[in-house]
Parts: sequence; C-alpha cells; structure tokens
Amino acid sequence: MTTSTRRIGDTLLKLEDISLSFGGVKALTNISFEIKEHEILAIIGPNGAGKSSMLNVINGFYHPQEGRITFRGQVRRQMRPYDAARQGIARTFQNIALFKGMSTLDNIMTGRLLKMKRNFLWQALYWGPALKEELEHRKVVERVIDFLEIQAIRKTPVGRLPYGLQKRVELGRALAAEPDLLLLDEPMAGMNVEEKEDMCRFILDVNDEFGTTIALIEHDMSVVMDISDRVVVLDYGRKIADGPPEEVRRNKDVIDAYLGVSHEEMAAE
Amino acid sequence: MIYREAGQFKTSYAADQAIFPILQDRIAVAIMMVVALVVIPMFGSDYFLEIIMINVLFFSLAAIGLNLLTGYTGQISLGTGGFMAVGAVSSYKMAILFPDLNIILIFLLSGLFAAAVGILFGLPSLRIKGFYLAVATLAAQFFLDWLFLRVDWFTNASTAIEGVPRSLFGVTITGPAATPVAKYYVALGFVLVFALIAKNLVRSQVGRAWMAIRDMDIAAEIIGIRPLRTKLLAFAISSFYCGIAGSLMLFLFYDSAEPDLFDINLSFKVLFMIIIGGLGSILGSFLGAAFIVTIPVILTNAPDLLGLPISSELAKHLEFMIFGALIIFFLIVEPHGLARLWQIAKEKLRQWPFPY
Repeated sequence: MTTSTRRIGDTLLKLEDISLSFGGVKALTNISFEIKEHEILAIIGPNGAGKSSMLNVINGFYHPQEGRITFRGQVRRQMRPYDAARQGIARTFQNIALFKGMSTLDNIMTGRLLKMKRNFLWQALYWGPALKEELEHRKVVERVIDFLEIQAIRKTPVGRLPYGLQKRVELGRALAAEPDLLLLDEPMAGMNVEEKEDMCRFILDVNDEFGTTIALIEHDMSVVMDISDRVVVLDYGRKIADGPPEEVRRNKDVIDAYLGVSHEEMAAE
Repeated sequence: MIYREAGQFKTSYAADQAIFPILQDRIAVAIMMVVALVVIPMFGSDYFLEIIMINVLFFSLAAIGLNLLTGYTGQISLGTGGFMAVGAVSSYKMAILFPDLNIILIFLLSGLFAAAVGILFGLPSLRIKGFYLAVATLAAQFFLDWLFLRVDWFTNASTAIEGVPRSLFGVTITGPAATPVAKYYVALGFVLVFALIAKNLVRSQVGRAWMAIRDMDIAAEIIGIRPLRTKLLAFAISSFYCGIAGSLMLFLFYDSAEPDLFDINLSFKVLFMIIIGGLGSILGSFLGAAFIVTIPVILTNAPDLLGLPISSELAKHLEFMIFGALIIFFLIVEPHGLARLWQIAKEKLRQWPFPY
C-alpha cells in the first residue's frame, strides 16, 4: 500500500519498557515500541505470546506493573477502558463482543455514545434538540453502514447474523466512534478467503480514507505481509522483531519462533 | 393483506425512527386511545374500572419501571415492593404535612424520593451481578419493610397509611369519595405519559447504553460507557416509576393500607409480570400486568358465569392451580414473553394470506 497518498506521521502512541505479570506469570517483559500516525501496524506472534495482553494494556484493561505509555505526547496514568475511549482509542475483540440483543443499527449507534451530548431528560422527550442530535448521528452511522456494505441487515438483531457479518458490525461500531487509534484483535479469524479479502479491503480503506491509525493482531501471514506497514513480533512476552514486513520475514529469531528450533541445533551453534 | 407495510416508503430517518412506523399500527393505536379515553370510562362498570383497569394501570407503571432496570439494563431487582412503599409512604407524608401541595406534584415528588432510595441500593450493582445483586436488592426490600413498619414517624403512629382525599380542578380524585372514573383518568394520564417517556428513553442513547451494559458490560466500557453511572441512572429511573406506581396504588386503589402491603410478594408479582409479558419490552410490561391482574379475576368469576356449583373454597384453590399452570404454559410456549408472541403474530400477519 505504498501507492496511497497518506503519509506516516509522528509517533501517536509510545510504549516504553512495559512489563505485565499476573502473579508469577510474566505476560509481557520490557516491551517498547511505537505506533506512528496513519500507519497500519501488525502485532504477530505464536499463541500465548502476549499479543492480546498488549492490546489490553494499550486499551486500559490491564495495568502494567512497569513502563510508560505516552499517547499523543501525554504520559498516561492508570486509566479505565472508558477513558481510553474518550481519548480516541477504539477496538474490536477476538471473540466478538457485540450487544446481541440489539439490532445492527443500534449496535453501531452505541459507537456514537461519546459524541452525543444531550442528557437523559432531553432524550426522554425525544423532541427538539434531542431528536435533531439523534438524526444527525443516525446519518453518520448510515455512512458507516454504507461503507461496510451492511445496509440489508440494518434492523436485524446481531445475534442472528453469521459470524463474518458480526465481525463487520463490530468493526462498524468501532468506526462509528471515529477513533484516532483503532485496535483490531484478529479481525479475520475464522473467515473464509472471500470474507478475509473484504475485511482487508475495509481495513485499508479506513486507513486510506479517514487516516485512522490501526494496530492489528493477525495470524494469517499473507494478510499481515500484504496490508501492514510495520510488523512487531512477540514471543513469550518479549519483542523479538520490529520492522517492515520484508525485513521481519527474513529475521532469524522470527523464523525460529514460528518454525521452532530444536535444542540440538541450538547446542551445535 | 390488511397488515402490510408494502408501499409505505420512508423518506427520512425521522420517519424510520418513529415509534409506530407502519400506518396500520398507528390506526390501531388511535383506536385504542379512543377506547381507553372515551369508551371505557363511559361504559365500563365501577367494578371493571376499579378492580381491573386501575389495577392494570398502576401495575403497568411498576412493570415498566422494573423492565427498564431488569429487562433493559439486566440488573435483577427484588426490591420493587420496597421502592413502591417509599413512593406510597412519602406521598402520604407529604399530603399530610403540606395540605396545599398539588396532588400531582406530590406523586411526582414521591417518585423522586423513591429514585434517591433506588440509587442508594443500586450502588452494590457496580461490584455484584446476577443472583448476588438480586439478594442485595432483597435486602433493600426487607430493610424498607422493616423501616416503615417499625418507625412510627412514617405512618404517623397509626397502623395504616392512607390515601388522603385530594381534588384537582375541583374534582375529588383520591380517597374513598372519589369516583372510579376520576381515579381511572388520573392513573391513565400517568401511565400514558410515563410509558411514552420510557419508550423514548429506550430508543435513544440512554436506552442503548443500558442494553449495552445488559448484553456485554466489558464491550460497553470499551466504547466509553461508564458502568456505575449508567446502572445508577437505571436504578434511579426504575425506582422513580415504581415509586409513582406505589403512590397510585395507595391513593387510587387501596385508600388505606398497612405498610406491609408492599412486601416481597409484591416484588415477585411485578417480576412475574415482566417475565411473562416480555423482558426488554414496554408493550410486554402492559401485557404482563394485564395478564397477572385479569386472569385471577376471570378465574374467580368463571364458575358463576358457567353456572358450575363449586364451593368458593374449591374455586379459590382451582384459581391458584390454573393460574400457576397458565404461567408455566406460557413460559414453555414462549420464554420471551407475550410481547414476543405478539411480534411473531405480526410477522405472520404480514405474509398472510399469501406466504411465499
């Protein structure tokens, strides 16, 4: 995607020496990397490498014992996920976290929550400024719906939708918040090739059209290599590589981590 | 053929977001309004108005309140009776202490008292969920029961609290002297206004935040919903509704009642209403209240109407058995309540008589 007009800008999020442990289990050890504005960053690694923990740290779900997080030049204190949302960080989950009893439209409307200012007394009237606000945000949501091509399922409860579409609705909910940083936890897990291609297209389009910075976790290497600007590789809670896809692909540590290396070979070296 | 939305094109989002987007629905609602506002008060007997209609109305209000909390926000509450007691006791106290205060204002203020108590007992909901929260609200129920029974100040040292007679625009609307028609109109007015408000709340951002908390609280936090604030708002508004319902129950129906009228059984009754009517549905609150209130009345009168020579004791036992069986039957047929049955019926009706 070097052909697009977007420019990778300054550092948006900076992680320095992040360590996270649960009791005696070290999930992340001294991890440092940066996420730059407008880029697509892929975080990869074998199972249990600490990828999701990394996103949870960025997102405010987990509080690392050590390290510093700087977002848009400001050092972040301990924060709750809703503070992260307020600062412009949105995310999707590995296991879909939609509101199953609500329609697609309502689910995506919840993404607009922080942008809606009228209090509940106005909403109780559903009239005047409250109605105007509701309709304005409906318009924005309809643009997201058009963008993701899910017009037909607008009024369907999301619990009834197939898996691939649910993933798309979840992306829609994150997009509706117009985030600066979008975290995607395995957006293509369990999808067939066509659905994966659609999802790739949406991710690239979001990045291209809205300039949204995206950090994603993905297992499908061909996808990662194709769409990301930069790849960070984690293994056993440590960062073992960080760089453009071509470079990472040739990195010896990465190959070892993925293909495994026998102890005899290590001894022989 | 009759119930069709084909050909009804919506050209604005406002039209699409209307409560009744389909023309036939709007006609049906208009007819129901005429029936409720004109036909029933004109032709309904006093027995029908008092025993059935007023009962259904104030229970509907309580059921809507509980449904906002349990059906929409997913916080199980067994404190409904307690919150209704707060409403009833506070409006009784206010009516005694401030004789010049408008009765409508008193009802609304009693709702605010109940809301404050609701917020207090809603605080544990941040930490505990599901059955454990139900137990915490049960504590609220028992505490409030005890408070109103044991502390004389609330009942002015008498055994009962009374629906103090009051009038509005020169018509007596509360107390024993008020006509059933006047009481019916007061109850209907409250229920219509607050049902509309509840509907507006659940279809706007507040309601979506509530349902988000209900469906998945972690994801709700991710998109910026503050769990405690959202849950407490649900507790407050729910208790507000229950408080007003309690006031109406005392002032429009019982006229005089001991505080233990608002016991745990009342909480369960309202909970049954929303489970049978449909969790997360305003319509369901009405259907559930109507079901629970009318079925016993019908069962009590059925032997006489059919001319069966049954002793009144046997009739009473039969009533309980049939009532219980009906509840179980409906729950098996449709666990999502009467509102869901109605929805299915509408979907079928859209295709009738030519399903494809």
